[in-house]
Amino acid sequence: MYSSAHSREFPACSGCSLCRLVCPMWRSHRDPRFSPEGLAKALQCGATAAELAAPLDACSFCGACDPVCPERIDLTGMIMELRRQLPQSATTVNVPVPPGPAPAGALLLPGAALRADPALLTRVKGLLGIAVAADDGADIAQALETGGAIDTPRQRAFLRGLDGRTLVVGDALLLRQLRRWLPAARLQGLGEALGNVGVIRRRLASADFYVIEARAYHADYERLVGHYDGLRADTGCAMNLDLQRIAIPAVDEAEARWMLQGRRPARIVVENPAEREILRRVADVPVLHLAELAEA
Amino acid sequence: MNIPPVEPGTVGPCPVAPDALQGIKRQQTNPARWNGAGWQDFVAAVRAAGVELAEGSTACGMYATDAGGTAYGQPHGVVVARNAGQVSTLLRAAQAHRVPVTVRGGGLTTEGESVAFGGVLLDMSGMSRVLNIDAQNLTVRTEAGIYWHSLAEELRRENLDYLSAPLNLTSSVGGTLGVGGIDVNSARLGCSADQAVSLQVVTPTGEIVECSDDENAELFQRVILGYGQFGVITEATLRIRPYTPLAMHYYYYSSLATAIEDLQMLDRNDASDYSGILTIMDCAVNLLVAFDSDEREAAFKANWEARLRGFGEAGFALCMLGHYALRPWRIGEALYLLQRKQAVFPEFRRPEFHRDGKMHDRSVVFSRAVWKHWGSRQMVIPDLATPADTFIEAVERGNAVCRKYFPHYTLYCVGIKLRPEHKPHYEMSCVPPGAEGWAYGCEFEPMIEGEVYSRDHFQAFKNAIYDIGVDLGASYYRFGGMMKGYIRRVFGDALVDRHLAMKRKADPAMILNRDVIF
Ligand SMILES: Cc1cc2nc3c(=O)[nH]c(=O)nc-3n(C[C@H](O)[C@H](O)[C@@H](O)COP(=O)(O)OP(=O)(O)OC[C@H]3O[C@@H](n4cnc5c(N)ncnc54)[C@H](O)[C@@H]3O)c2cc1C
Ligand code: SF4
Ligand code: SF4
Repeated sequence: MYSSAHSREFPACSGCSLCRLVCPMWRSHRDPRFSPEGLAKALQCGATAAELAAPLDACSFCGACDPVCPERIDLTGMIMELRRQLPQSATTVNVPVPPGPAPAGALLLPGAALRADPALLTRVKGLLGIAVAADDGADIAQALETGGAIDTPRQRAFLRGLDGRTLVVGDALLLRQLRRWLPAARLQGLGEALGNVGVIRRRLASADFYVIEARAYHADYERLVGHYDGLRADTGCAMNLDLQRIAIPAVDEAEARWMLQGRRPARIVVENPAEREILRRVADVPVLHLAELAEA
Repeated sequence: MNIPPVEPGTVGPCPVAPDALQGIKRQQTNPARWNGAGWQDFVAAVRAAGVELAEGSTACGMYATDAGGTAYGQPHGVVVARNAGQVSTLLRAAQAHRVPVTVRGGGLTTEGESVAFGGVLLDMSGMSRVLNIDAQNLTVRTEAGIYWHSLAEELRRENLDYLSAPLNLTSSVGGTLGVGGIDVNSARLGCSADQAVSLQVVTPTGEIVECSDDENAELFQRVILGYGQFGVITEATLRIRPYTPLAMHYYYYSSLATAIEDLQMLDRNDASDYSGILTIMDCAVNLLVAFDSDEREAAFKANWEARLRGFGEAGFALCMLGHYALRPWRIGEALYLLQRKQAVFPEFRRPEFHRDGKMHDRSVVFSRAVWKHWGSRQMVIPDLATPADTFIEAVERGNAVCRKYFPHYTLYCVGIKLRPEHKPHYEMSCVPPGAEGWAYGCEFEPMIEGEVYSRDHFQAFKNAIYDIGVDLGASYYRFGGMMKGYIRRVFGDALVDRHLAMKRKADPAMILNRDVIF
């Protein structure tokens, strides 16, 4: 929250513990080793990635720790890098590249979760009115998630022709990475793009509980905190934000329960299709994806 | 100085004699490291009893220092607190094997009090769950390792709030109840330690005891504001209140003394819900005043605002313009003021924390400003707490010390309402002897601004501030902790020896937080 310019590394960690306040991994373990602070401090003491395998595995890459770190350490980047160093992560991604160039204009890169629900993908495509990229880099997103190595020719092939364009990216970890790889592209997460569609915005009601996708939000926090504050002011709906205006992700049922504790919404609206399933398991009210609102 | 060697397994004499600091510019904060005698037997005993104890630099390294960043030490091993039974097992074994135990909550001390110089570090953050919220009686029962901010998160789901807590997000309930805990509403609601209704404490010999003003009152009195000497606080019942957003007002002064007089006038008359002073420079002093309700705000406007001698923002800007127009050679100062205003003011006005002219979640707004603008890897925050009538003198003398040591610094002054019935809690604590009604605290915080200062420089600065306290018969509100070497000078041998005798009785092997006070 203090700055969007993340440049510093683990030696800068002062041990202020602010990252623990927002970290779901810390909330579920209540052990300082399972926190960004614990990782940074262990690295300061010379720990190797292998010694830190358990917390590295438990991190959900929600990105909540990045914007709150007053030392501006790129904590998600640090954890991704460490995951790459774990022995079991040494798998190289190299899938066949789809033939032909991507269509002109704005593009939707849906990502695995949205592709897994073709009906929802069709709705999203219709609402945004943009073409779907044949190559959405799902394999690269998976490599980012698991710490797999990314083959350079594959990366080049995926990025070819994307810079400078408007891209709506469904996979938020890929979105985060694309901000670095494609400095001239206009990048949006799925939630932000759909939230700006008039028919959807109009159908959000004050009794709704709106679940912001944590990864996309935290990766562009300074800008998006204003976007969502505007959405809240326009629609009156409550959101999965804590007192620091950091998003609580429904990474598992325990976190989903914490997110909903003390809230009594009539309906839950999610940006991330994967969270829809988890929330349905713990909530006794309808859980819809943002794109489903248009027809609700 | 000749420091006698410490016998293995015993606690040596205090390496800092009562008068050791006179004329000495630098006093090292680190006590001697415990020699490790019997460690392996102790580890075997606690592990056999089912307590998880981690060793090695990966586990211990994260506790190498506290927020102060000037005292460094490492424990031999770490236990993350899980429940009172486990803490009890640990303390019993520690007594038997004479192994020191240092308790750590948020680790926000600045004199190394939560740093372990050998022995076990007991990290209370593992006990951080809210156990029960009683919205009817406005109390909460919580595990004591919880951060105040996490407590606020849970209370807020029920539209409730704590009464008062330090403005930093990561101090813990247990750590704060033992220290004080000052908020911008303390002039009205008292310190955090006064909010405790009852506690579950594990004594240094391992008994699990519930205590309050009515039950085991003596233990309660010693544990509250007792700097972790008489037990580990494992659970606390605290008073709470309904959540309210705030209406904030700022008044600007060019005189510290005038601002303090006005602050004390507001406090005496219960004219505001929140009040405090934050200086930007000696000639730019900000008095902040805030309200929980429109009624209180309206009453302030009708009865008290006109009596304040400070300016609004625009009036003060004009005043400063005139001031520097007549003193062009001080343009550097004016630029600093402007730059500070541009950096800090927006932080207090972020739109996502404001609705309909009111500030929401003030603790977040204030705390993140604290970390962003005053935080650094070394935090040097000596403070003074005095009765109301000597406060201006203490602050002006402290301010002069700051001026001597640093180009830029901030002073933070607040009132602390005292509860007469809590007098026994206040003995040998941050509450200055002789204070009636209110005590006043001032924290002196240099702006490090990326500069590198030697530890000697920091230490000499702190000594100079603490010396004022000794001179004025003040105490320290323990924003930044008090150097152990000053304890006897401030409280006197008779009182300290009486507490030492109580400590020896309660903690025969002197294992618990043993380097903090005695
Ligand atoms: C940036 C910053 C801002 C601050 N702002 C404020 C402020 O606004 N107001 C204010 O009053 N103070 C403030 N402080 C001081 C700090 O908040 C207090 O020292 C305090 O509340 C410490 O809480 P903690 O959990 O960090 O305790 P720790 O530092 O972990 O411990 C404090 C002492 O209590 C002992 N202890 C810890 N937990 C327990 C327990 N459960 N049972 C028994 N003993 C225990 C420790 O051994 C240690 O001696 C600030 C400090 C910093 C660095
Ligand atoms: S990315 Fe999320 S889960 Fe991982 S360390 Fe940061 S806050 Fe914790
Ligand atoms: S917020 Fe940043 S500086 Fe603070 S403990 Fe976490 S990683 Fe370290």
